[in-house]
Amino acid sequence: MTDATAKSIDPRWAWQPYRPSKEAPWDLPRVGHLYRRAAFGATYSELEAGLKAGPEALIAQLLQGGPGLAEFDAEMAPLAKNLARYNDIAHLRAWWLSRMLHSPHPLQEKITLFWHNHFATSFAKVQSTRFMLGQYELLRRHALGHFSELLREMSSDPAMLIWLDGRDSKKGNPNENYARELMELFSLGIGHYTEKDIREAARAFTGWEIQGINVVFNPKQHDDGKKTVLGQTGNWSATGIVRICLEQPSAAPFLVGKLYRFLISESVTPTPELLEPLAQQFRSSGYDFGALVKTMLSSNLFFSPLVYRTRIKAPVDFVLNIVRALEGKIGATALAQSLEQLGQNLFSPPSVKGWDGGKTWLNGQTLLFRQNLALALTSTEDARFGRRCDPAALARKYHKEADSELVDFFLRLFLQGDVSAQTRTRLFDYQQHAHKLPAPVFWTEQDVADHRVRSLCHLVMTLPEFQLD
Amino acid sequence: MTANRRDFLKSSLAGAGLIGWSCGAPLFVSRTAAAVPSAGKAGAKDTILVVIELTGGNDGLNTVIPFNDPEYSKLRPTLRQPTAQIKKINDHLGLHPSLTGFAELLQDNALCVVQGVGYPNPNQSHFRSMDIWQTASLAENVSEGWLGKALKSLPGTPSFHLKSNNEPAPLALDGAPARVPSIKTLEEFQLQLAAASGADKKEQRDIIEGAARSNGGPGLLDFVQRTASNTYASSRRLQEIGKNYQPKATYPDTALAGQLKLAAQLIDAGLGARLFYVAHGNFDTHSTQAPAHANLLAQLSEAVTAFFKDVAARGHRDRVLVMTFSEFGRRAKENGSRGTDHGSAAPMFLIGGKVKPGAVGEHPSLTKLEMGNLQHHTDFRQVYAAILDKWLGVSSMEVLGAEFKHAAIFKS
Repeated sequence: MTDATAKSIDPRWAWQPYRPSKEAPWDLPRVGHLYRRAAFGATYSELEAGLKAGPEALIAQLLQGGPGLAEFDAEMAPLAKNLARYNDIAHLRAWWLSRMLHSPHPLQEKITLFWHNHFATSFAKVQSTRFMLGQYELLRRHALGHFSELLREMSSDPAMLIWLDGRDSKKGNPNENYARELMELFSLGIGHYTEKDIREAARAFTGWEIQGINVVFNPKQHDDGKKTVLGQTGNWSATGIVRICLEQPSAAPFLVGKLYRFLISESVTPTPELLEPLAQQFRSSGYDFGALVKTMLSSNLFFSPLVYRTRIKAPVDFVLNIVRALEGKIGATALAQSLEQLGQNLFSPPSVKGWDGGKTWLNGQTLLFRQNLALALTSTEDARFGRRCDPAALARKYHKEADSELVDFFLRLFLQGDVSAQTRTRLFDYQQHAHKLPAPVFWTEQDVADHRVRSLCHLVMTLPEFQLD
Repeated sequence: MTANRRDFLKSSLAGAGLIGWSCGAPLFVSRTAAAVPSAGKAGAKDTILVVIELTGGNDGLNTVIPFNDPEYSKLRPTLRQPTAQIKKINDHLGLHPSLTGFAELLQDNALCVVQGVGYPNPNQSHFRSMDIWQTASLAENVSEGWLGKALKSLPGTPSFHLKSNNEPAPLALDGAPARVPSIKTLEEFQLQLAAASGADKKEQRDIIEGAARSNGGPGLLDFVQRTASNTYASSRRLQEIGKNYQPKATYPDTALAGQLKLAAQLIDAGLGARLFYVAHGNFDTHSTQAPAHANLLAQLSEAVTAFFKDVAARGHRDRVLVMTFSEFGRRAKENGSRGTDHGSAAPMFLIGGKVKPGAVGEHPSLTKLEMGNLQHHTDFRQVYAAILDKWLGVSSMEVLGAEFKHAAIFKS
């Protein structure tokens, strides 16, 4: 998108709450948009209910989460503890994916995923499922809370201490890894500190050790001398450095910009003026991230055509959108494994910068993996997913039988009907023509009809529009 | 592949060569596809470049080691390599003990080491510095890579990003006239369909490919469509390649070796492919560096050596050039965690039948450090310029936007 687009956006209008109007009616594409960005997609019934409920009610519901979260957490927690005990990261990935699929509060999981990408820590080096789970819990606890607290606790998180070598950092000869990424990636952004700031700050993070499964502060290895960091001199410890970072004017816009890219648009680059009101709100609220998420998700800009379909679906969203839409009752283990090929292996981001997202999600190989995974999920020939995500069964559930009904059903379900007339015609023609195509002799009439529905559904999922978020 | 198969491929590719790129039908259409390897001089039309990214910042000082310099031992009290095991390049410089294969290549006059490569005002962020190397520009927010730009002058040249893990396509390849396909394996580079019959399959494929046709609008939909149409076309072509490639060298069982073997297979398939990009890492050794670094270097050396032996045995010795680079080297002095923090200048390796064997340039001084980092002697764009002008036959001025004195990496 051109810079002109972003420049033409009035910041005051942008962040005011959205109210349906003649130009911006509350319609199915907007319901689908909200469900994609604030959750992991919707079922057909949820889309229809959301349309009836109106924006205020649906936004409020997604922000607060549905009832039963405490029970859900209580049910899920012992499973994770067990996985930690057996250092079973593969199933911890599936466990998190199940949470995303089934939690009454999907936004909380979605923002936790944002933080996992922000404090991108990988099992590849940490090697402890217990610590990865611990970090996940830290991220979820503060997901919609205060960023300042999350950042403070992160400096003594065991997974992070291993990931960025804090546990080895000793007085007199500190390791710079954490101090650098704290400034570059976690709080300020490149260009807002010097190499000297990093070297001085590194001294403040010395002294943390991991003994067994506990983090221990060893005063003998901590450098408590005077340090000058970002213009402030004192005997700073980790907490002091975090405070100094959060006092920098670049901290709020850095985080706001990152959340904008996650919730609003990857391709419409915001101007500093557009983000300024949110940065002010974020700073003056003491870094209340939940409030920031709320402002963005309720805004005029969020529901504007300017930012509609201006993100590429992340792999997690791609698979969960499908499974949710098809109301599949499938286990998450194979699903979690498939995410690795798609390029988003949970708990194993490629580097401390996390997943770059946007266009980098899609290349020849990942596109084919996506299309083939969509087929595997809906096919009766692939046993990986237990054949329990069947589009033919779903169409029966919603009583869709006629060719045109079926085409419109799947187009509404996956794309809220928002495709070109030409695309719809091609799909309809295929559906009609498919009656005349030869099929294996041992197929019953029902088999043939079901095959047509599954193929139609797969074709809808392979449309380029479905790659957009 | 049988001779007939190969002939078939060549003729069908040559026929397809009439299809233009501007209409967005990026097939493996190469003007050179039908040509026999000329095994000629550098700058010949059918030269091949394989770029290997050493992700994370490779410790140059422990890769190409000035073993006689007393400062080396002082800077590296725990990480220094024993002199006796270092593979000598000359009387003061040697390769890390794990680089056995590279030492062999040096004996075979096929290894060139460019010492102390970097750029002015080195940046010590992984991500910023990697962008600088990949765009060959110190400017910010550059969206085209140096190889992508080079491909503009090589229209129709098949190129591949070979994924060793699940990493995204590199910025270096962005800006190419048609999106360079990323491939993990040939088996997985296929569009699967569940069809009731051959006719059904064809109809489904037509719909999928039809929807991928771009009408050239701006925005992300067009990007998805271009990626998709490239992919479907490439995938169909690649299915023609024989599956049972019999290498003429033994490849180790590593991700990097697997990808280089795929490169050899694609070279041998006669598609006219000239550019390959592979990543290897992680070289970000902040703590307990010694075992990890030795292992990564051994993997690099073994994989590249097997690849070079394989392609050389097929008559491509003088057509192939392998180049390694990393976003930066590491701090001269080791840290307290038996590791090294981010640094700047580091060596590059060039492997091929036409390289100038031995060390080129000067090793950075171990006493004249800049913020504790080694200072560069050769700008990396001097290496790129030599490769562009003399190897790929692409104007370096056009790609780099300025004249850079060629690094002396080729036999004169």
